[in-house]
Amino acid sequence: MSTPTVPQLVPTKRTIAVLGNPNVGKTTLFNRIAGIRAKTSNFPGTTQEARVAHINLDKESQKGAHNESVLIDLPGIYSLHLDLSESKVCNQTLEGTTAPTGEPAQVPDALMVVVDATNLTRNLSIVGELLAKRLPTVIVVNMIDVARRRGIHVDPDKLSDCLGCPVILCSARTGEGLHALGAMLNDAKISHRTAPSDQTGIERWAQDIYATVSTSNAELAADTLTDRLDRAFTHPLLGMLSFVAIMTGLFWMIFKLAAIPMDWIDFWFGSVGNWVAGTLPEGAISDLIVDGVIAGVGGTVIFLPQICLLFFLLALLEGTGYLARAAFVIDRLLRPFGMSGHAFVPLLSSHACAIPGIMATRAIPDKRDRLATILVAPFMSCTARIPVYVLLTAILFPDRPLYQAYAFTMCYAIGILAGLFTSFLFRRTILRGKSRPMALELPSYRMPDLKSALLLTFDRGMIFLKKAGTMILAISIVLWWLNAYPHSAPTDESIALRTQAESMVDIEQANELVAQADAIDTRNATANSMLGKLGSTFQPIFAPLGYDRQLTVGVLASFAAREVFVSTMAVQVAGSDDVDDESVLASIANATNDDGSRIFTYATSWSLLFFYVLASLCLPTLVVTAKESGGWKWAMLQLGWMSLLAYIGAFAAYQIIIAAGGT
Amino acid sequence: MINSEAQLESKAVPLTQLSRGQIGRIECTQAHPDDCSMLRAMGLHPDASIQMCRLGEPCIVSLSGACRIGLAKDIASRVFVHIDS
Repeated sequence: MSTPTVPQLVPTKRTIAVLGNPNVGKTTLFNRIAGIRAKTSNFPGTTQEARVAHINLDKESQKGAHNESVLIDLPGIYSLHLDLSESKVCNQTLEGTTAPTGEPAQVPDALMVVVDATNLTRNLSIVGELLAKRLPTVIVVNMIDVARRRGIHVDPDKLSDCLGCPVILCSARTGEGLHALGAMLNDAKISHRTAPSDQTGIERWAQDIYATVSTSNAELAADTLTDRLDRAFTHPLLGMLSFVAIMTGLFWMIFKLAAIPMDWIDFWFGSVGNWVAGTLPEGAISDLIVDGVIAGVGGTVIFLPQICLLFFLLALLEGTGYLARAAFVIDRLLRPFGMSGHAFVPLLSSHACAIPGIMATRAIPDKRDRLATILVAPFMSCTARIPVYVLLTAILFPDRPLYQAYAFTMCYAIGILAGLFTSFLFRRTILRGKSRPMALELPSYRMPDLKSALLLTFDRGMIFLKKAGTMILAISIVLWWLNAYPHSAPTDESIALRTQAESMVDIEQANELVAQADAIDTRNATANSMLGKLGSTFQPIFAPLGYDRQLTVGVLASFAAREVFVSTMAVQVAGSDDVDDESVLASIANATNDDGSRIFTYATSWSLLFFYVLASLCLPTLVVTAKESGGWKWAMLQLGWMSLLAYIGAFAAYQIIIAAGGT
Repeated sequence: MINSEAQLESKAVPLTQLSRGQIGRIECTQAHPDDCSMLRAMGLHPDASIQMCRLGEPCIVSLSGACRIGLAKDIASRVFVHIDS
């Protein structure tokens, strides 16, 4: 007797892959559907990222069912058959051999192919390639509002008939047509049509379909405004001036706007620290929470506003279409140094983090171009350097945001110049050869999409907070322990001061002596702690750069990750802080070394700034360099070369300022 | 795709010889195979209509008024076109 089939009770998740050419508004469309539910995930072992969202499309389409769908926004591609990492990731996703981290690798249940109504002929080529995958497909013709303004009319019924699958006309920007998308995706079906398999055949097929489904009632007029803007933004002199002005303005805004929320965060962590110190009984637990956890994490989280603003403003800038023009300005700049504009995206990504930047070099076709870019990428100022730059520029130019912005821009410029020098040197010695020329689509100028920029900012901010709450928290606790133990007994000098204080009548003078005794004990305890001894051992190496024991510890700890410098300094100075109600940043800025003089003098601050711009202080970057370049010799070359430049730069900055009579 | 010299029709000229605003039709591209594949996927395929928007470095072209492509002068000089009369 056969057992009756039990209905499936567990709701099934449908995987829908979102594909299309670059610059077709795919991500804007995805963000409109998924909103804050989306998160960014990497494809394991690759450079590529995808936005993933678990959403209920039935709910979106008001049908009332509750089957969840996993929407995967894949990288934009021109063709599945190009020898590029984006095309490979898309192919592997369609074959079910890879998936973004956290998602099961499986053949997608449906494809949502986004095409640009204003450039339908070229976009239909990728549709033809995707139809050959024989998967249920829906075609979303985006930017229909722009097409209409240009006098282009697309007949969705005829297009659906030609392609053999459902077609929807929409505008991701205005929301037009999107209400029907959920229902349409449920009706996705395998096309009964097939496109030719050869490139020429597909191009003719696309042209024939375009001629059938589209009409244009206006003669294409010359786009004079775009022409003028392009000429200005790619002009040898004007283009470079615009680039410098835009980037300076961007960083100035970051400093100006981030100051207020930074003060709030700083005040909040300072208040919480004081409250915990006053509430908990004195002892190791209180010290751990106040000096380890709150000082360490607070010293890093304070930079969240800057990091969010940087990503937000860069996303807005990218949304305007300007960055593609900037790539050509950079191409002109890079070429004499042995790199091409192909390096622009990896180098720009490296300003967020060198790791995705180095991985993105896979898109560079020429091997020598690629190796040169890998070696140069860590010179670009990543977000991990931002906390250090902010701290040091604030110490150098207190209450002068414009000067801080200049110094900040200068840090980026020094990193870029060091990278150019490195490329110039290596392309004429160990990596001889000419770089490949660049070709890039220039998207239309438009108003940036605020929602997409905000979602990206939220995503990046959460990644930063997660790092502060895990790795930086763990390192702060370990550093606190190394800084607090072994305990040192009070010194004879402090005992004598306390005895003297006890016999005094004037309470104010007595308190002053007790404070002096506390400071002596704290310095003694820090110097004799494990961290203090470690710093003392290595300090002679950094002495010519002006670094004392505590700065040496800060620099050594930065090998785990650069931003750890600020939390390390916060943990080290927390115990020796003479002013209890100071904020975290002020505590670091006013910290003193063993002889009572300030740690962050004008000369040491400049020396540190140069050191952090140029040094290869990131273990994961070295690992990725070894993996992507095909050997540890390149990683070791990178480490040795960057350390040498950093040491020379910091030494020169310190010694020149001291020789000029600076402090 | 590397097209041999023999395939080039005599009237085809390098793209860089188009003046600003002039329209042509792509004949072929003589470059590294990876560059040829990329350009073709971007829409610079044989018989595509192409208009010169900016000469020099970079060279900016419009494809049937639908999209703009920026090309380094070096690669633009390897794209051969028939100038529309």
